Amino acid sequence: MAITEAHAGRRYPACDPYQVSAAKIAEFAAALGDDNPRYRGESPIAPPTFATVISAPALAQLFGDPELELSLDRVVHADQRFSFIRPLRTGDVVIAALTIDKVRLRTGSEMVSATVNISSLDDEAICSSHATFLHARKTPA
Amino acid sequence: MKATVVEGIEIGTQLPPLAARFTRERLVRYAGAATDFNPIHYSEHFARQVGLPGVIAQGMLTMGTALRVVTNWVGDPGRVTSYFVRFTRPVTVPDDADGVEVQFSASVVAIEGSLVTIGIEAICDNQKVLGAARAEVDLGVRVPHRDHEVRDAPRVP
Repeated sequence: MAITEAHAGRRYPACDPYQVSAAKIAEFAAALGDDNPRYRGESPIAPPTFATVISAPALAQLFGDPELELSLDRVVHADQRFSFIRPLRTGDVVIAALTIDKVRLRTGSEMVSATVNISSLDDEAICSSHATFLHARKTPA
Repeated sequence: MKATVVEGIEIGTQLPPLAARFTRERLVRYAGAATDFNPIHYSEHFARQVGLPGVIAQGMLTMGTALRVVTNWVGDPGRVTSYFVRFTRPVTVPDDADGVEVQFSASVVAIEGSLVTIGIEAICDNQKVLGAARAEVDLGVRVPHRDHEVRDAPRVP
């Protein structure tokens, strides 16, 4: 069976804890060509869109869920929102957990929206990533 | 990085624009940094096979680069409270030394207390590649501006 509207509300188990490091922040900021001094020095914070690094394994759970029959080859990232309670900082150990918010079936495709909540091991909410994906259904050969 | 200037921020205030060049090298760097190894971002034959005009930049690279306009202006990226974009058009990146240029501009679209909403535009080849892009920043102090009572507004020391 493929993804249906009834999959809205499905939650996946939290991913393994992720430790935010100064080295990964520096690598990510460099990839963006961003020389903001807050990403360097003694206690760097992460660029806001660094949350994508932490969300990646949670999204892999969604796209790897055999029941949903989603294929990354047919996925288009339609929109993306990040919301922050505070920035991610060097030394933070965080977990990411994904929930499917909504599934809309359209002709030939599905719109899937999902939220990844990123929190500390003590359950302090830090930020969330909300994305909408357009998934093209496989056309019969 | 200079401190945020709260005085003089009005709806319509333009932020300093930014032009960024996306090359294949940048795409590969971003793929590694973000752990996004979708081959459409580095493999021409794969990209064409799935119907794309060629290798395209990660939408998240465009999104992350666009936010530099805001974080350069605000100084402290920790002040960003939310950020939304719609990916309206892929950015095709040729396999040459120049790559492609994306131009980012931004202006203040709303002010409420200490929260300032900034609308961002991203243009590549004369076409918008992001839609409805909005970042909200909390400047920590109430922003005095024409649409508000300014008498009691705190001042940045």
